[in-house]
Amino acid sequence: MRFLSLAGRRLAAALPALVIILAGLFLLLQLAPGDTVDALVAQMGGGDASMIEALRRHYALDQSTSVRLGDYLWRLIHLDLGHSAIYGKPVAEVIVDRLPATLLLMGSALALAFAAGMGLGIIAARRVNRWPDTLISTLGLIFYATPSFWFGLMGIFVFAIYLGWLPAGGFGSIGSGLTGFARVLDIAYYLILPTLTLALIFLATYLRIMRASMLEVATLDFVRTARAKGLSDNTVVVRHILRNALLPMVTLIGLQAGTMLGGSVVVESVFSLPGLGRLAYESVMQRDLNTLLGVVFVSALLVITINFIVDLLYARLDPRISSGH
Amino acid sequence: MKLTRRELLLSTGALAASALFPPLLYAQQGAKTPAPRKGGILNVHLGSEQRILNPSLRASTGVYIVTSKIIESLVDLDANGKVVPVLATSWNASKDGKTVTFKLREGVTWHDGKPFTSADVQYNALELWKKHLNFGTALQRNLEAVDTPDKYTAVFRYSRPIPTELLLRGLADLGYVVPRHVFEGTNVLENPANTAPIGTGPYKFVQYERGQFIIAERNPKYWRKDQPYLDRIVWRIITDKSAATAAIETGQLQLSAYSQLTLADLDRLKKNPEFVVTSKGLEANQFNNTLEFNFRRKEIADVRVRRAIAHSINAQFFIDNFLYGQGKPATGPIPSTSTAFYPTDSKQPYPYDKKRAEALLDEAGYKRGAGGIRFNLKLVVIPNGEDVPLLGTFIQQSLAEVGIKVDIATYDYAGALSAVYKEHNFDIATGWHQYRGDPAVSTTVWFRSGSPAGSPWTNQYGWQSDKVDKLIDDAASEVNPVKRKALYAEFVREVNDQLPIHFVTQREFYSVFSKKLQNSHNTSRWPSSDWSDAWLQA
Amino acid sequence: MEFLHRYKRNPAAVFGLVLLLAILVLAATAGLLYPQNPLGLAGRPLQWPLSNPDFLFGTDHVGRDIGAQIFHGARVSLFIGLIATVIAIIIGIVVGALSGYYGGLLDDMLMRVTEAFQILPSFLLLLVLVAVFGSELQTVIVAIGVVSWPAAARLTRAEFLSLRNREFVQAGRTLGLGDFSLIFREILPNALPPVIVYASVIMAVAILLESALAFLNLSDPNVPSWGNLIGGGRGVLRVQWYVSAIPGIAILLTVLAVSLVGQGLNDALNPRLKNR
Repeated sequence: MRFLSLAGRRLAAALPALVIILAGLFLLLQLAPGDTVDALVAQMGGGDASMIEALRRHYALDQSTSVRLGDYLWRLIHLDLGHSAIYGKPVAEVIVDRLPATLLLMGSALALAFAAGMGLGIIAARRVNRWPDTLISTLGLIFYATPSFWFGLMGIFVFAIYLGWLPAGGFGSIGSGLTGFARVLDIAYYLILPTLTLALIFLATYLRIMRASMLEVATLDFVRTARAKGLSDNTVVVRHILRNALLPMVTLIGLQAGTMLGGSVVVESVFSLPGLGRLAYESVMQRDLNTLLGVVFVSALLVITINFIVDLLYARLDPRISSGH
Repeated sequence: MKLTRRELLLSTGALAASALFPPLLYAQQGAKTPAPRKGGILNVHLGSEQRILNPSLRASTGVYIVTSKIIESLVDLDANGKVVPVLATSWNASKDGKTVTFKLREGVTWHDGKPFTSADVQYNALELWKKHLNFGTALQRNLEAVDTPDKYTAVFRYSRPIPTELLLRGLADLGYVVPRHVFEGTNVLENPANTAPIGTGPYKFVQYERGQFIIAERNPKYWRKDQPYLDRIVWRIITDKSAATAAIETGQLQLSAYSQLTLADLDRLKKNPEFVVTSKGLEANQFNNTLEFNFRRKEIADVRVRRAIAHSINAQFFIDNFLYGQGKPATGPIPSTSTAFYPTDSKQPYPYDKKRAEALLDEAGYKRGAGGIRFNLKLVVIPNGEDVPLLGTFIQQSLAEVGIKVDIATYDYAGALSAVYKEHNFDIATGWHQYRGDPAVSTTVWFRSGSPAGSPWTNQYGWQSDKVDKLIDDAASEVNPVKRKALYAEFVREVNDQLPIHFVTQREFYSVFSKKLQNSHNTSRWPSSDWSDAWLQA
Repeated sequence: MEFLHRYKRNPAAVFGLVLLLAILVLAATAGLLYPQNPLGLAGRPLQWPLSNPDFLFGTDHVGRDIGAQIFHGARVSLFIGLIATVIAIIIGIVVGALSGYYGGLLDDMLMRVTEAFQILPSFLLLLVLVAVFGSELQTVIVAIGVVSWPAAARLTRAEFLSLRNREFVQAGRTLGLGDFSLIFREILPNALPPVIVYASVIMAVAILLESALAFLNLSDPNVPSWGNLIGGGRGVLRVQWYVSAIPGIAILLTVLAVSLVGQGLNDALNPRLKNR
């Protein structure tokens, strides 16, 4: 019960931001040159004026902006995301179709970045200012500095074309009829390169934070006490330093959730993944307001949820917070 | 008809094995044409998502490449561009050109089991082609009624004469028939059959997974005996061109049509013995790189400036060095492959001539000023294809040579169309003109005055010519082919002289396909045909 | 001096600084070495690097000299990075300062807006902004600045919250200093260092954001930016990979230099972390 009320309060607190985003984007896109009918006619290769006018009526583009925004928000209150102009079916369905790819990609990239960042960060911190530290830190910065689309394309050519080890793109073998574990493996195989590409950017940040917080925590009193008690180095690191150093790492997950979704726009485009990022890009290009706002709404919920979970984790990890409540 | 997993594994195994020994495969090609093999899955590249999979509502190659296997048209074109029967078996026109009677194929059934009749054709023509289908609305503008004296006869009645070859050539693209009983009485734009198509074609729709793939399987009750040969067709949606090329090379795709790969990759794949890269089988879809002028700019309104700009662009150099030799300089709005209309004495009206260009600009009174610049122009790039930004850059480079500074404005597709055709916010613009077999279908609308702002690819240049308008209208209802050709020759002469649009190149689309794919590219609009006789080597 | 000394002892930071200086030299000498318009047609397209003594770095897919674009592009990339960062930092400081100084309702409102910007993926907002307002260089720069400020605002706000009740501020208040002077003369100088260090992150991201836009063909084609060159070379990546690879490496090195310098500054400012 307490959990639910906490979650409810969290959502309520995020509502103003959500409304600002949705109304802001709606109004912003009204200023864009061209509307969804222009994009549609572009795709069709032309059409005459009467047909175009009929299409505008069909998509309710002949009504005023304020009426349409009002309609949109009113429908949203009823949890109705509207109809997608690109896909000709309810936005909710389109998003549900696209969500798995994005969640899998983000989840695996996050896990990889977190785990590798933590491991490398620990090594770097324990060998601070010696060559492993320098090497790891520099490598991290190089990953960070690499444009992700560039890395992705190079990855495709090396691993998919020249070596032939990995698929060039897509989300599982099509029409393979695989089920169960075989299908899971199949999809995992397709996600190796995209995951690597997306994880690389974030790996550097986790690495840096992990290293810094390890060093910071190591100077604190309780660690000195532990050392003074004669505990071995490894025990101190695992029991005392690590636990506390994880706090900023966990915070970072929450902060980066939004960024990751932005990064997946590019990664999904390079690897032809049917995810939310690419859907968002397409809906901007096609001026499909309902779909764009729907994606933004769902991704905002996602970010809020992740932050909520992060807070719960935080409370578990940090004894000061839980005792304070 | 479902494929077991074992069969599939076997066939992919065979595929992988043959990829290992391409020279062997190549050697076998020389042998005489073997008998078609039944079975196999054809994987086809789809470069962009389609909102509506219904060719009687949406006329575009992206729709045809999928739906023409599922839904059939009244007629199609053969390898020489001649009209051949499909759902219509024969036709004849009245002397006054106002009535065209079609005999329809008997014994054809829809995928849901109901019979195909003249009532379907009547409904499609009046309710879909005439009201909703882009280009169809123009072609059928004067269609008044479709009579159905019996189940297999449809009589089209027009208020003005319509040239028979215009109607038939148009119907190959604009004559697809969907079932009346599925669409009648519904909101046609929202009908579920728009994304789960039902037709009479050789393949039946199975599944459309947005952003991923579309699947169709063999229709066992197809009216052509023993056809089709393929078990399934899978269209894979891959928007990134490099990723698509990678999928071709790794054997995940066997076909990519309509130049959906990069120019560089098309050129490179030509040298790969496993694939064929060709423009054969795509002759019906010609396109041009264009340069549109906005007469609202006073410099542009001077015909000498427009001619100077045309003279400054070395089309042959652009084609050779930027397009890997794909194409040739255009001679006007009608491509040379359209022999029924192409004026025989055509030549490039404004060949590359920098001196002449400079002289014309001087003569028009725009001398080089500070920094050698005569004036600035805003160029809007309409991103139809990869080559358009290239031509944008080349125009910028070329005009700099004659003292015109060009600033390129990039928009996305919708933004560019809106800037040019709705807001007229451009000085010059570059994009594609796609020729659809008859100038009256695709081309004259670029020159005819009277289109309201907001209609893309229409005359929005602030230019109008009574003479050209009259030529266009006369030609559209001239039933005598010889006279019609003469009218279009006159039209071409006139617009080449006035130059509201400069046609820079004339080009064809290219297909890439695996050599295993047989009986392909054997008609002039093959990617948009039904593929009932196509088959895959084991 | 102490600060400089600490910076000098950090080899990575020194390397970053040298790299950054080298890129500045590229930018400074671009006009001397390549006086021609870098976007002009220089020769036959797609000549490999070193194959023609006229074009050490080769020519791109539209016959432009890659070397000229790398040199002139250094200017553009640094310019984009710098100006976008300045915009982001200014917005961030103003929002953060007002929010942290006044607190209350204003803080609540500003933080809701900041949250909105943080929840919305910044690249997505950037796409929308460019789709709406066009791709001219100025627009792209402002758009990048507009999507990059929230972290700076939070940082400034946190500093202000901890500083606003310190003795020197109280003293200023009793002296009758107005809010404006308190915010900008008294507190801000003390709150600035961590924000300035963070600017290196914003700048690095700004350069990467522009290249991602260019990859999607949504950046300004009238300037020789590295991102445009990568985007343009994408079509020929399979064989003439150098068209994309060379500017890709240039971006990598620039972002690396900026990050290293930023990290060096950070370490020099927080000596506690370094001197264990």
